[in-house]
Amino acid sequence: MSELTFPEDILYHPEHTWVRIADDNTAVVGITDFAQEQLGEVAFVDLPEIGSTFAAGDEFGTVESIKAVSSLHMPIAGTVTAINEALEDEPSDVNTAPYGDAWMIRITVDADADKSQLLDSEKYAAQL
Amino acid sequence: MPSITIIGSGPGGHIAAFEAARRGAEVTLVEKTDVGGTCLNTGCIPTKTLKSSAEALETAGKLAQFGIAAEAGTEKVSFKADMPAVIARKERVRKVLSGGLEKTCASLNIRLIRGAAELAGDTTVRVHTAEGTEEVKSDNIILATGSSTLDLPSLPVDHKHIINSDDALNLDHVPNRMVIVGGGVIGCELAFIYRAFGAKVTIVEGLDRLLPIPSVDEDMSRLLQREAKKHRIKVELAKTVKSATVVDGKVSCVLGPSPFVEGATGEDTTIEADVVLVAVGRTPNIEGLNLDAAGVEADNRGWIKADEGMRTSAKGIYAIGDALGPARIMLAHVASAEGLCAVANCFGEDKTLDYSVIPAGIFTSPEIGTVGLSETDAISKGFEVRSQVFQFRELGKAQAMGELPGMFKLICEKESGKILGVHIAGAHATDLIAEAALAIEKGLTAADLAHTIHAHPTLAEGLYEVAEGWLRGC
Repeated sequence: MSELTFPEDILYHPEHTWVRIADDNTAVVGITDFAQEQLGEVAFVDLPEIGSTFAAGDEFGTVESIKAVSSLHMPIAGTVTAINEALEDEPSDVNTAPYGDAWMIRITVDADADKSQLLDSEKYAAQL
Repeated sequence: MPSITIIGSGPGGHIAAFEAARRGAEVTLVEKTDVGGTCLNTGCIPTKTLKSSAEALETAGKLAQFGIAAEAGTEKVSFKADMPAVIARKERVRKVLSGGLEKTCASLNIRLIRGAAELAGDTTVRVHTAEGTEEVKSDNIILATGSSTLDLPSLPVDHKHIINSDDALNLDHVPNRMVIVGGGVIGCELAFIYRAFGAKVTIVEGLDRLLPIPSVDEDMSRLLQREAKKHRIKVELAKTVKSATVVDGKVSCVLGPSPFVEGATGEDTTIEADVVLVAVGRTPNIEGLNLDAAGVEADNRGWIKADEGMRTSAKGIYAIGDALGPARIMLAHVASAEGLCAVANCFGEDKTLDYSVIPAGIFTSPEIGTVGLSETDAISKGFEVRSQVFQFRELGKAQAMGELPGMFKLICEKESGKILGVHIAGAHATDLIAEAALAIEKGLTAADLAHTIHAHPTLAEGLYEVAEGWLRGC
């Protein structure tokens, strides 16, 4: 697993999603390098409607690869403000750029959102 | 031996006629339009022939994925739906099957009268034929008149721009933009068919999921919604079409939040379509039947009332099939089973029909097969349940076929493992469900399924896998 990367500037959910929280309480969510590697070639990403709200741990969508269908779990409570429509045509970006081009949703983080379930890069990598 | 007059020759009526004749009854079968009823002429069979054409086109579009290339010099070959040819094929299939039914009637000495039937008191039927009127007296009558497409005042069907499902099986072209009102079985099947033919399809469903039918597990609806997205079928849930107006050959549809979903909100929006298909339900065929003359009761929507043995409120008169309405299940094979039950009772038996184990096939892409209870239904009936799913794409056969979408879902009683419901989405799901129907009918458990050897490599291994998974409790 040495080739997998887990950037230090983002936080991780144990169910293999990541979140990059900005100062204005907006955030971007995607899946980790570990998740994409486990899935194999990603064929389809099903993302929620804009305006949907989710609690931490909720399923906000699914990702399908050639060999598996997996739930996408919300790393932190919030409301969806944008989805990455480019993934509709290029789902395989999830394999090549899980922390970049293949971000999945933008959210507004709930004001009182619990962050205790989130792990830093080191702790996430340690629990794999 | 009784004499029996059966009104309607669909899968309820003709199966009843065949059974009655084989038992030695003197049988008269009255048919107003085409032999075979909705199933053969405007339902099951025509949609499946169109679906086969749609699948052929889809396969043609992905030949390269299977390593099939065009001969040199023909690289630009591309395929499209030739609708007149698609419809002609459907007509050929329909006529072969319809002709077969007529031949069976003749060989069983069933008298087939073409005409509109009217009840004329007691067990007499008056038939209005092209030649005149004839009265047929018999010991028993079985009403198997079926159902027709339901029209809504807000969506005036003109059979050109605003069409019903009967029209959708006879289109001479593929509409560019198609709005389908109703995300039930008929709406969803035609949505996937016309999408495959190349139409841009939007489904508008008043409830909050596709296939909002109690017997369809919610996981199947979610999977189908995902597949709709993949096929680029737009799905508008919890919305209704408030009006549809034809202007310059285009239909302008106003969509609003559904009154059937609590808390559905949002502004009205307008979408334009070339064709709007209305698939919102069915209505009983009782017009001209004069139920009152014989004292046959119907409910306020016209669905005929019958007991568990198919007896109506009038002595000697039975009713089966779609005409009994959605409280019974409106499926061809249910009508057939009801027909057999009615005939047995005409012969003096005291049969009733058990509606608890009825498999159903939905011919979307992928197909869906269901039998028994959904998880939600099982819980609401007080069962303690545990469910297990298994993905189609984990099967070697599914990978080999290139048929990845789909899942098997097994719902069992938690303690005993007794199977309560099986729901399958995926290639050939409508065929695969038969094993599950037998299992539930015979009261089998997950262990029984898991301990039955399933042939490899087959899609049926999915049932073994999901049962095995259930046993392992993972």
